[in-house]
Amino acid sequence: MSTLKTTLTGYTGYRGREGHYAFLLHRITGLGTVLFLVIHIIDIALVYLSPKGFLDVIALYQTTLFGIGEIALVFCVFFHGINGLRIAYFDMRKPANWSIETERKSTRITLIATLILWLPATFFMARNILIHNYGLFGG
Amino acid sequence: MTATSEQIRRVKVRPNYDHIAWKWMRYSAVLLIPLVWFHLILQDVIVGVHAMDLDYVAQRWANIGWRVYDALLLGFAMAHGMNGVRQVANDFIKGERARTIMSWALFIFWLAITAIGAAALIGGVRQDFPLN
Repeated sequence: MSTLKTTLTGYTGYRGREGHYAFLLHRITGLGTVLFLVIHIIDIALVYLSPKGFLDVIALYQTTLFGIGEIALVFCVFFHGINGLRIAYFDMRKPANWSIETERKSTRITLIATLILWLPATFFMARNILIHNYGLFGG
Repeated sequence: MTATSEQIRRVKVRPNYDHIAWKWMRYSAVLLIPLVWFHLILQDVIVGVHAMDLDYVAQRWANIGWRVYDALLLGFAMAHGMNGVRQVANDFIKGERARTIMSWALFIFWLAITAIGAAALIGGVRQDFPLN
């Protein structure tokens, strides 16, 4: 238990601003994605194991709550990918960029790039929810 | 000065397991970015979950190319994800024995989930089920 406390205190107590947030977000988005990945492998496996169960799961995924979760998942995947590219690029090509200044600047760029990809995707997914679940936009 | 530190740095070390696992994260990520991003944009944004049913999956998997695509996703994403979980867990688990147990547990979990996914990919959609 003391290890858990030490690690969590380190995770939250360290005040590295952008570089620190990038590290935490990379972990949270990675864990979030892998959690859904496991669920997703099982739900797709249902087309073979139990087709009726698959239809139930799809009906659940079509609810607004899961739709919001889907939008969050897309953010996780985009951020994790772009931030991963940033980490790999610094490590392999520009190790001098591992400084506080460049870390802060590049993290902001990473977030902006994530938003540029994520916001249009969110628009279409939110539109889908509004059309199918609330009958808006001629749904 | 730079030359000296460069010379000191370049020491050949035999890659251990974690070195290979770390490289795996990098190389699988290069593949996963196009694979997963395209998968998400196609299925979640363009097609959308409201257009999903058994027929959709059956039609998609009628094409062997999509089955190969999904097999690549299953293999690379799950292995990348499980190794990521192992790396995070290593931050919280310090004991040598506990880490061994955790690693084996994750390995067995990875094997089981991948096997379930592979079974569905090979088996395909069972449509002889009486659907209403």
